[in-house]
Amino acid sequence: MDDSNNPAKNNRGLYLDPRTKILFLITITTFALGGAGGRRVEMLAPVLCMVPFLLLITAKRFKTALVGIILLFASSILLEFANKINMSGLLYYLVLGSFGILSRFLPCIMMGRYLMESTTVSEFNAAMKKLHISDKVIIPLSVMFRFFPTVMDEAESIGWAMKMRGISLGGKHASKIIEYRMVPFMTCCVNIGEELSAAALTRGLGGEVKRTNICKIGFRLQDYFSVALCLIPWILLIMDVVK
Amino acid sequence: MDGVTNQRKSEEKLGGKDLINIGIYAAIYCVIMTSISMLGFIPIMMPMLAVLCPLIGGITMMLFYTKVKKFGMITIITVIIGAFLWITGMGYWPFIFGIVCGSVADLVAKSGNYLSKKKTVLSHGIMNITIFGCFLPLYLDINGYFATRTSFGSEYVKALSDIFKPWTAPIILLCSFIFGIFGALLGMSFLKKHFEKAGIV
Repeated sequence: MDDSNNPAKNNRGLYLDPRTKILFLITITTFALGGAGGRRVEMLAPVLCMVPFLLLITAKRFKTALVGIILLFASSILLEFANKINMSGLLYYLVLGSFGILSRFLPCIMMGRYLMESTTVSEFNAAMKKLHISDKVIIPLSVMFRFFPTVMDEAESIGWAMKMRGISLGGKHASKIIEYRMVPFMTCCVNIGEELSAAALTRGLGGEVKRTNICKIGFRLQDYFSVALCLIPWILLIMDVVK
Repeated sequence: MDGVTNQRKSEEKLGGKDLINIGIYAAIYCVIMTSISMLGFIPIMMPMLAVLCPLIGGITMMLFYTKVKKFGMITIITVIIGAFLWITGMGYWPFIFGIVCGSVADLVAKSGNYLSKKKTVLSHGIMNITIFGCFLPLYLDINGYFATRTSFGSEYVKALSDIFKPWTAPIILLCSFIFGIFGALLGMSFLKKHFEKAGIV
């Protein structure tokens, strides 16, 4: 489960502690996506929405950041436009469905992507250990962390294969969609999972002794700055609740 | 004698393989749930999520239940799913529901020694009450919920407010439970039809 040899992850510019990234992810989803905290935090939401793109740029993912920013702006402008001319009916739902989802979820997706791409599993483990989270939660989480891209990949490939046979929404055999997609998907994923778990067990995961970790993680100047930014909406939320 | 007790102790404790299994199935379940939830942008489909998620998720979960032999596995996977729902923007209620429903579901399954079919089905139903946690903010404060979602447009908001009248709360709750049970039955028939033959149970 170690991918520190991945060259894409070694060359990654500004370093942030994984704990800071997790805090960012929770803050952005709670306030920008979940809309907690009411009016006062709403002013901060655009700032929070821009954070993932900034982070992607610092991690030298220029292309992803650029595509993301263009999509975000285009979708919010289009939504504004659709609301202004009072669009209604089916077209409205189509516009809403595709662009509402984009503008709302994009910052979170980008943040999640940044977290996945810029953190190795070992670093993630080290950070969770430092947060004193039980091993019983860390191991499943790190497996998920490692396994997510694989699952998405499999789902996409099976989607393509079934589309070719006409088993897709709007295809000839749309009624079979659940069975014909779920079964191969599950079979693939479970088999890959078995191999993954065998590989992890040979490397001593889940042994009796305490596992060590050579990753050096720790808070630096940029982390303190980011944590301070994240704390502002939380403090506002608490103030709101107390009052 | 000592060796025997030690062995029994390690049988009750969650091992590395169990924890890895939890991670794998949680990842599969979350991906499936996310792709279903995309339908929620059509207002009529929003309450249908309480039907579809337990129904389709049941296939994954029944496969997971065949791997469960120890106390704690169902609790952990439900908590992780709740946390995932939190991160993907459903608020913190699913997380709280996950802790409660997960442990109750685990206790129910344990009372059948993780072998009884009836208890498994019931346990899956209870577990899926977690999904109701996603809808709770809609009932607690619907105006507050939409105050920050004005970009969705007034029509969408109106359609949703019409659907989520307070009296529908117990119906959604019951739906997630009953379709959890149906999902479990569906999952079991899938197990019999496909997965047992393929040898992955």
